[in-house]
Amino acid sequence: MNNTLRRRRIGEEVYFSSVTDPKFKHNRISVNYILPLEKETVSANALIPFLLRKGSRECPDFTLLNQKLYSLYGATLSADVSKYGGYQVLDVSISGLDDKFTLDGEAMVAQCAGLLAGLATDPNLVDGAFPEKDVELEKQYLIDSIEAEINDKRAYAINKCRTIMCEGEPAALRKYGYVEDVKKITPQSAAETFLRVRRTARVEILFVGCGDCTPAEEIMEATFAKLDRAPIALPEQVRVPAAAQVKQEVERMDLSQSKLAMGFRTGAAQNMDELSAMRLMVAMFGGTPFSRLFVNVREKLSLCYYCAARFDRITGIMLVDSGVEAQNREKAQAEILNQLEVMKRGGFTDEELENTLLTMKNSLYTVSDSLSGLEDWYMAQLMQSTARSPQEEAELMAKVTREDVMAAAQKVTLDTVYFLTGEKED
Amino acid sequence: MKEIIKSQRLGEEFLRIKHKSGLTLLLCPMKGYSSAYALFGTEYGSVESSFIDKDGALIQIPAGTAHFLEHKMFESEEGDAFALYAKTGASANAYTSFDKTAYLFSCSDNFKESLSILMHLVTEPYFTPQTVEKEQGIIGQEIKMYDDSPEWRVMFNLMEALFEKHPLKIDIAGTVDTIAQITADTLYTCYNAFYNLNNMALAIAGNFEVQDVLDLADEILKPAEPMTAQRILVDEPAQVVKHRVEQQLPVATPLFQIGFKAVPKSKEENLINQVYDEILLDTIAGEHTALYRSMYDEGIINSTFVGEVMAGRDFAVTLFEGESRDPDKVYEALCGEIRRMQREGIDRDAFERSRRAIYGRYLGMYARVDSVASLMLTTQFGGADMYTVLEAAAGATYEMLTARLLEAFDPERSALSVVTAPKEA
Repeated sequence: MNNTLRRRRIGEEVYFSSVTDPKFKHNRISVNYILPLEKETVSANALIPFLLRKGSRECPDFTLLNQKLYSLYGATLSADVSKYGGYQVLDVSISGLDDKFTLDGEAMVAQCAGLLAGLATDPNLVDGAFPEKDVELEKQYLIDSIEAEINDKRAYAINKCRTIMCEGEPAALRKYGYVEDVKKITPQSAAETFLRVRRTARVEILFVGCGDCTPAEEIMEATFAKLDRAPIALPEQVRVPAAAQVKQEVERMDLSQSKLAMGFRTGAAQNMDELSAMRLMVAMFGGTPFSRLFVNVREKLSLCYYCAARFDRITGIMLVDSGVEAQNREKAQAEILNQLEVMKRGGFTDEELENTLLTMKNSLYTVSDSLSGLEDWYMAQLMQSTARSPQEEAELMAKVTREDVMAAAQKVTLDTVYFLTGEKED
Repeated sequence: MKEIIKSQRLGEEFLRIKHKSGLTLLLCPMKGYSSAYALFGTEYGSVESSFIDKDGALIQIPAGTAHFLEHKMFESEEGDAFALYAKTGASANAYTSFDKTAYLFSCSDNFKESLSILMHLVTEPYFTPQTVEKEQGIIGQEIKMYDDSPEWRVMFNLMEALFEKHPLKIDIAGTVDTIAQITADTLYTCYNAFYNLNNMALAIAGNFEVQDVLDLADEILKPAEPMTAQRILVDEPAQVVKHRVEQQLPVATPLFQIGFKAVPKSKEENLINQVYDEILLDTIAGEHTALYRSMYDEGIINSTFVGEVMAGRDFAVTLFEGESRDPDKVYEALCGEIRRMQREGIDRDAFERSRRAIYGRYLGMYARVDSVASLMLTTQFGGADMYTVLEAAAGATYEMLTARLLEAFDPERSALSVVTAPKEA
């Protein structure tokens, strides 16, 4: 299988990348605007993808646009905002059946790419403004999305911990922005924001699927050639090597299960080998169902349903979280820190190391079996200015030794402990 | 007994083999894939709240037992199955739904070793009072996690409004009180009744060799006795319990689910009707419809609005869900549109667009190892094969859907479930 990325510059800071594999039946094409994450612009930027998905100059009516998508075998249009360290990414994407599976032989790639190019770059602006009704509705929806964070207590606790931990860094900013700033957006200001985004952002276009990407590449190249572009260089990603002191915060809310979230720093910028060692260390510590945290905090002490560690390779932040009874908080926290000490002094078996490596390899090889897996993988690669395949990553990881893992664990320091708990003390 | 089941449309095929142990094997090797996905399932889920055993005695099962059993199957006398899978690198999991329990792994290497672990895990129960007690702590936390989940609550509240007797309305994980009644004996009783290979299927898709599966099945699986447990079908009335239910939990925008209760038919009909119902959901209120547009522009739905079908052995519910500041208005608009369509007929263009969209969506499922395995298992338990659903989408006609709209979407047999934020004191 050849799941390597082919990448070509098709315009001023505009890149077209493709990964193809004949085993699939669909193609996914996405246009990604990459911007620095900044308090002043984050909220205004966040509204843009949701306005773009409403229609283009060529197809301004949302209902007619969707009738077109439905006729194209339910091609799905999506738009969202994501965050990679200190970057904010606005994406509009379309996923459609490949030409060879249609009932009437339609040219799906060309039609989907044409629709997407119009939606992503040429919205229906009238007198320098987005339609008022759309702006009003999408502002409300964005505010709802910001506020809906509270619905999922686990995600809420993790985000809250990260915000406290990264105060003053771009990584503390929320990807959808802030309610008070969203409220200030007008149809005119939204249009100005869009034009700024289209002019200054780095653009990554990704094609993942089974079809021939040539029509899509040609359409995108022609589309961006017509645009006025003045890209602004993206800042370097910020990375704080170690915690100065441990920050603590408790928040109360009406809930039945408390949430403990602990944020850790993992040292200065790492080369590829060190990064692989850190990823393996975090997985051994709390990333698998036989990890230190799963086996000890969940299985041995029966304190929780989940206790897991995750690693963000861009910011170098490791987050550990667990859902526990309020009275078990101290026990859980003590055991989490105790297991980290075990990792630091190498109190793990060679078998644990080998098994974790096998699991990581397995998940890396599985990436290439789905379109969404491949798209997420390569988008994350592009955000780190690399283009390694999952297979290459697996090879790097296989070289990590026990000493490398211990050295990685020794760089870890606790930064923030956040605890979300019920209204009253038990 | 070996059958090759083909799809002319896709130019693809899979094997169905009735193994001498009683187990049905569903095998679909897929070229070009790195991983294999295996799903070992039994037709036993949370809706089994009682059954009749071989001596004719009525056995009551505490709510949450199927899910509890799923957790405990991972333990054997030698320890935890995750520790065994750790040696192969496979990613393993399990789930319990209303009408089935399934154990799975996904692997890119060491397929035989992983499959051997899966076969042993499912066929060798080991429960002790100590391990049961430990699990009560873990599952108790899982239940509490779900109690805080507005998405989970809005669904089970809807089920309680729609169903009077059907155990569908009971939380899959049970409650802290019901799982406290579960003992090692309860688990053995249910295991022996429902984890009978004649009541089970093993579905595998992706990168693997058929012969390896057959060899392992011969080596590990012992022939099962004929299945003796008799299921008790619930005599559920056609009417709903109530039309509206509301709960307060911390949420930003109120969440809602609007469900329509259909009269279930045979398993196979339920399976095909599920595809028709999906087309209908899109025809009624998909993003391409005038109704969607008017609700969106009115600000009473947002892009979280979506339709869904939940169908199984003896139940069929179609539902719309999302976030809304005025869920009652959404409910009213949907029922109004459904009544209008029932009176005036379905728009032919909207039907054709929806049919194509559902066809495209199903087609995509045959390109993923996990969805192929799931489809093989679900359709097997539904008395069909995995290509049945694709053909149902391709072959759906305007007349069929008109009839289905009348029988499955009755506003009189519907309910609205809402979760809103607590009022400020």
